[in-house]
Amino acid sequence: MLKDITIGQYYEGKSLLHRADPRMKIIWLIALIVLIFLAQNMYALSFAAISVIISLIISRVPLKMYLKNMKTILPILLFTAIINLFYGEGEVLFSIWKISITDGGVYRSVFMALRILLFILISSVLTYTTTPNDLTDAIESLLSPLKFIGLKTAVHTLAMMMTITLRFIPTLIEEAEKIMNAQKARGADLESGGLTKRVKALIPILVPLLISAVRRSYELAAAMECRCYNGGEGKTRMKKMRLSLIDLFLSLACIIIGAGIITLNILF
Amino acid sequence: MSVLEIKSLTHTYTDGSPFINDAVSDVSFSVEKGEIIGIIGHTGSGKSTLVQHLNGLLKPTNGEILFEGENIWQKPKEIRKIRSKVGLVFQYPEYQLFEETVFADIAFGPKNMGLSGDELTRQVEEICRLIGIKEEYYSKSPFDLSGGEKRRVAIAGVMAMKPEVIIFDEPTAGLDPKGREEITEIIKAYRKSTGATVIIISHSMEDMAEIADKILVMNKGKLEMFDKTDKVFGEGSRLKEIGLNVPTVTKVFQKLNEMGIDVEKDVFTVSKAVEILTELKGRDNNA
Repeated sequence: MLKDITIGQYYEGKSLLHRADPRMKIIWLIALIVLIFLAQNMYALSFAAISVIISLIISRVPLKMYLKNMKTILPILLFTAIINLFYGEGEVLFSIWKISITDGGVYRSVFMALRILLFILISSVLTYTTTPNDLTDAIESLLSPLKFIGLKTAVHTLAMMMTITLRFIPTLIEEAEKIMNAQKARGADLESGGLTKRVKALIPILVPLLISAVRRSYELAAAMECRCYNGGEGKTRMKKMRLSLIDLFLSLACIIIGAGIITLNILF
Repeated sequence: MSVLEIKSLTHTYTDGSPFINDAVSDVSFSVEKGEIIGIIGHTGSGKSTLVQHLNGLLKPTNGEILFEGENIWQKPKEIRKIRSKVGLVFQYPEYQLFEETVFADIAFGPKNMGLSGDELTRQVEEICRLIGIKEEYYSKSPFDLSGGEKRRVAIAGVMAMKPEVIIFDEPTAGLDPKGREEITEIIKAYRKSTGATVIIISHSMEDMAEIADKILVMNKGKLEMFDKTDKVFGEGSRLKEIGLNVPTVTKVFQKLNEMGIDVEKDVFTVSKAVEILTELKGRDNNA
């Protein structure tokens, strides 16, 4: 059961989006989210939707994977849609007691739900096409201007912490499984009982897990120091991130989407 | 009746990986009451997967496990009862300690079995006395102990459930020679006082030769050999083929045999070696 936990959501592939520079992907994502927010009417939002669908297609990640993501956010989506149903003016479609639903409300509800749907989809494109390690590297690189305001080590430290966290998730899962088995062998009952009983049953697992995590961190720190780790000073990279023609092409695409949404906003 | 009977056990790990691989495939054997069985095999040969079936931590993909003649999975809801009858001490068991005091940690298992009050105290104290955990340790934190002491406490935690079969997965790994000897003594003491059946996984052929009645050899998920210790160690070349070895003493005697000296090939303990060599020397002196 613990094995089902996935770390990040990277989906192996060689599409245009997989090969693009992760730094640019983060910038495009931010730009597209802002643009989706800026879309004021259905025409502009539909245009954004088409762009998002095109990027889903060129990511070459199976649609099934995106639908899986949808399932987890479905409650939020429904909640937003229902809440927005009651806000809005216009022709009353039908009313029960004091609550009436207007065509404006329906429009608003669909609009808001679609907006959230697009956010999630476009963010999934980034996580499906970029490995967690590339993402942290990209964040470090994008935040590097902070070193000019005296945060030189902070950026590297942050990125290193993220990398180590990602690296150790599978290790800790494995460890947790071992400890669970050991406690089960001592007759621990992890599967039955009420909430309090179940929470209490976690103590024999969490305490050893925490202790082992602390022990591991000491060992890792010692091992890093043995290999002359000094906090990123003068460190070079094995895999350098470089901008390529793909990035230029996709940046142009982003600009066109932006121009399209703004034009449609003004026209209608 | 055999205390444990394993009938064509197969376990396949499929979840999450596209590779179907049998961690254990078609293994059958039976264990008689009071025996000490040693399990040897390469890393990844399926030893650990095999023993995790014996107390119901893993469910067989195929085949069945009989404990005293009854299939342990007959009533899946009562599988926890089996775990107190077939105790399993994992590798590095000291990493499972969690309670505030040594006493409370050892009491965790028997408590889960439903013991309480005087009965619980009595059973824990009995085990502590048996394996040499002194009373002044009862109220100490298990995290303040040394490595060897921690392992002793962790093993006591399983023994305190008084299992009829007790399984150890590399009980002496990472200990110094004195620590190893102490753990071996503990295992012997437990068996002597309870008459329990013992199954040990180990990479140390010397330890195995010292303690085991029978040896079970696993190779690539399959049962390669299961026989009396002397018979198994008598097949040095076959063990070597699958990347295992025989105790150093046995190697010496097999070499002597090859050199044309008339000694037995299946000598696997130092005491037996001394006996034979003294006799040989006596013969030479007389001649």
